[in-house]
Amino acid sequence: MQKDLTKVRNIGISAHIDSGKTTLTERILFYTDRIHAIHEVRGKDGVGAKMDSMELEKERGITIQSAATYCSWQDHSINIIDTPGHVDFTIEVERALRVLDGAVLILCSVGGVQSQSITVNRQMSRYKVPRVVFINKCDRTGANPARVTKQVRDKLGLNAVMLQIPIGLEGDLEGVVDLVKMKAIYFDGDSGEKIREAEIPAHMVAEANAKREEMLDAVSMFSDELMEAVLEGEPTEKMIKEAVRKGTLALELAPVFMGSAYKNKGVQCLLDAINLYMPSPMDIKNIALDLKNGEQEVVLTSKPEDPLVCLAFKLEDGRYGQLTYIRNSQGYLKKGDTLINSRTGKKVKVGRLVRMHADEMEEIEESGAGDIVALFGIDCASGDTFTSSDVSLSMSSMHVPNPVISLAIIPVDNKAQVNMSKALNRFTKEDPTFRTYVDHETNETIITGMGELHLDVYIERMKREYGAEVKVGAPQVAYRETITQRAEFNYAHKKQTGGSGQFGRVAGYMEPLAEGEYEFVDNIVGGSIPREFISSCDKGFQKSLEKGALAEFPVSGVRCVINDGAAHAVDSSDIAFQLAAIGAFKEGYKKANPVLMEPIMKVAVEGPTEFQGSIMGSINQRRGIIIGTLEEGDYTVVEAEVPLSEMFGYSTVLRSLTQGKAEFTMEFSDYKQVPKNVAENLIEELRKKKKEQGK
Amino acid sequence: MLKEDLIKKNPLRLLSPADQGKTGSPQMGLVMARAGLGKTAILVQIALDTMLRGNKVLHVSIGQSLEKTKIWYDDIFRDIAKAVNLERAADIQDELMSQRMIMTFNEESFSVAKLRERLKDLIDQHIFKPDCLLVDGFDCSAAPEKALQEIRELVQGMDINVWFSAVCHRGDDRVSKAGVPAPCHETDGLFDTIILLKPDPVKNCVVLNIIKHGGKFSEGQKNLTLDTSTLLILDN
Repeated sequence: MQKDLTKVRNIGISAHIDSGKTTLTERILFYTDRIHAIHEVRGKDGVGAKMDSMELEKERGITIQSAATYCSWQDHSINIIDTPGHVDFTIEVERALRVLDGAVLILCSVGGVQSQSITVNRQMSRYKVPRVVFINKCDRTGANPARVTKQVRDKLGLNAVMLQIPIGLEGDLEGVVDLVKMKAIYFDGDSGEKIREAEIPAHMVAEANAKREEMLDAVSMFSDELMEAVLEGEPTEKMIKEAVRKGTLALELAPVFMGSAYKNKGVQCLLDAINLYMPSPMDIKNIALDLKNGEQEVVLTSKPEDPLVCLAFKLEDGRYGQLTYIRNSQGYLKKGDTLINSRTGKKVKVGRLVRMHADEMEEIEESGAGDIVALFGIDCASGDTFTSSDVSLSMSSMHVPNPVISLAIIPVDNKAQVNMSKALNRFTKEDPTFRTYVDHETNETIITGMGELHLDVYIERMKREYGAEVKVGAPQVAYRETITQRAEFNYAHKKQTGGSGQFGRVAGYMEPLAEGEYEFVDNIVGGSIPREFISSCDKGFQKSLEKGALAEFPVSGVRCVINDGAAHAVDSSDIAFQLAAIGAFKEGYKKANPVLMEPIMKVAVEGPTEFQGSIMGSINQRRGIIIGTLEEGDYTVVEAEVPLSEMFGYSTVLRSLTQGKAEFTMEFSDYKQVPKNVAENLIEELRKKKKEQGK
Repeated sequence: MLKEDLIKKNPLRLLSPADQGKTGSPQMGLVMARAGLGKTAILVQIALDTMLRGNKVLHVSIGQSLEKTKIWYDDIFRDIAKAVNLERAADIQDELMSQRMIMTFNEESFSVAKLRERLKDLIDQHIFKPDCLLVDGFDCSAAPEKALQEIRELVQGMDINVWFSAVCHRGDDRVSKAGVPAPCHETDGLFDTIILLKPDPVKNCVVLNIIKHGGKFSEGQKNLTLDTSTLLILDN
């Protein structure tokens, strides 16, 4: 059976932590009959909200992984991808955004637009995701949807237009006025499941009319028909809805809805809005890269008769093996089909096909373009593309940031050792920003990631899901080394120890590379280094990059150019030239004025204005550069760039400085040179450490 | 071009010589124009020049977001660096940014008292000691004498130069004796330097008319122009 694609919605729910995202999702599932009772996020009934399926999430009351779930509302199928709210998990958010067609941006009616929402909004703009805004928690003291709408305009730069106004606020929240229909909407029954339309209360008619005028003004920009109708008098409901949809899909309008998920108000209207204003898979341009054709961009069609292309965007380790969430972008997927993983070229057979409902599942036989489903027992990594055998396409690769922090982990016993490697194997497949390796000198297992919390969560998961208890070392910043000036090298490697010797001479220069980590340029003319050994030189340089001579950190931003050399007919070999290149690198590196680089984080601290001075002071103490401050009434944001190494334990400091009233987010920004005095201390410390280890 | 040449060749040298350190008393400057002619662009160039000379700038932006203000700096610096083919531009930019701090307020939450409090915080805690203060978007239309006087007193004590921007409105024809248009026609005595921006339709550029400089009203002989596409200040 082919579904009507225009009635499919793939949406994400994205927002600041604690703005009630999971509660809202829970209500959506309840009203669409997917669940039959409502559990609260930090509920006392011990069941927890449906979407937070990992135990850890239940315990911390936060959402870590973006579970996909399916529901239907008024003959539309809706796939909801719950996205994490904490910035340390941005890869999860970004990966989810890749497969979304539209998103609901939830904002708290009191807190308004906070720095996290700004980050998420920026990511959505990057992936061109149309948005509707839902202002939640209108029942809270201090709720002010109009102010939040203004913030959406000012801070997020979205053309936010209210399509509703609240009837009563805070404790008196009764319902909303729909400015399109010009009706009051109330939510009756124990769980707000009965929707009652009524006339607008007399005292609100004037306000509603004024707001409707405003709304029509903004919306009529997107439809000439509507503009004429507005000028002549009476625009129809259909015209307004069409214009809003057009503006929203063009990313030029963000309709604003409001209510309180916790108090069961306004959720059904939001569902209607998702059906009305969010794009269907047909409205979205999906782009794949043609691997046969130099990665040329190809626009996918969403048509079922075209070859299949789908993206594995999330892996989960279930009870029955690996569960792979895929988004089907083009073609038709059936049980028993054979697919090709375009990264590895391996063939896989579709065994079981399921539709996910948080941690329960429903067996299905087939899935069409635009669907989000899960496959069982398929070995792949997150971000892989599957296609049918007749095409060679890959969904564009995602931008994966380099890890900035590392930790040593030591298993407490043998059993933990085995489980730990199982867990690490799984996590690295699931999350490209989480990496692991063994330090050959200390024999410790090192894990690396995007922030303290990011690694914390994996350590917790290791313990809970895999029973791997580990001891954790102090977090280390991923420093790097780079060079700051051009330097020549000319090095000959000679070894004569009886039998065949080793000989190779490599000459050229190295220079700073503005973009990228490493570049190798072969400028050899006349064959002074034979062809077959050119790649050996490259290999030798790359080996040298692993550990810089300054403080044994990885080296990046170097271009190595070879322009001369010498070889010996008998004694030259692959290894001889590798060693010669290593020697040459060492020689040049010393002269190239190497420096230490450290990750700099973009930090935003927000809190009450009275603490602005102490917040700025705390950043100043941490070698931070304050970029600016923003003041709005009694609320302030301080934006700064601070070295990651100075940010350890900042949350505790900030809490005690501000009586727990301020919070901060941080995001990796750039690598910058470590100031001389700090670098000297750092190198000295490392030397001492080495000495101690040597003893 | 090197940084030193950029400082020497900056058209803004017309206002202050390169080797000029702090003149005894802090200066107060004003940039006036109709909306959209490039007041912020001029303030940002004054700020960049001040920073290039090794001074620190506090940019107070009223009603504009932090992000937008940052973009102004990035864009103008990029254009200047491109126009003069500046060497090591990225390094210089990094260096300059550490000498700048932006403070944004929304219209309702700005007051001189608040600014005084913030400045005191910054200086007392050794966080940031500005040499120059820019106030962009200050509403001069509603009885500004008192507020301007207050700011003058505030910076006098702290030894800081100040630059303001003010919008003149089309319908308002009031002009002071020296040619300073409303809304600052009654407060022109408070400023040491006043620059008025006027479009020149013939040359297709904007003229920076220096009405007052060094505390003296001039006859408008000193002029600079503003390139309308890049908004960079040019020598006349």
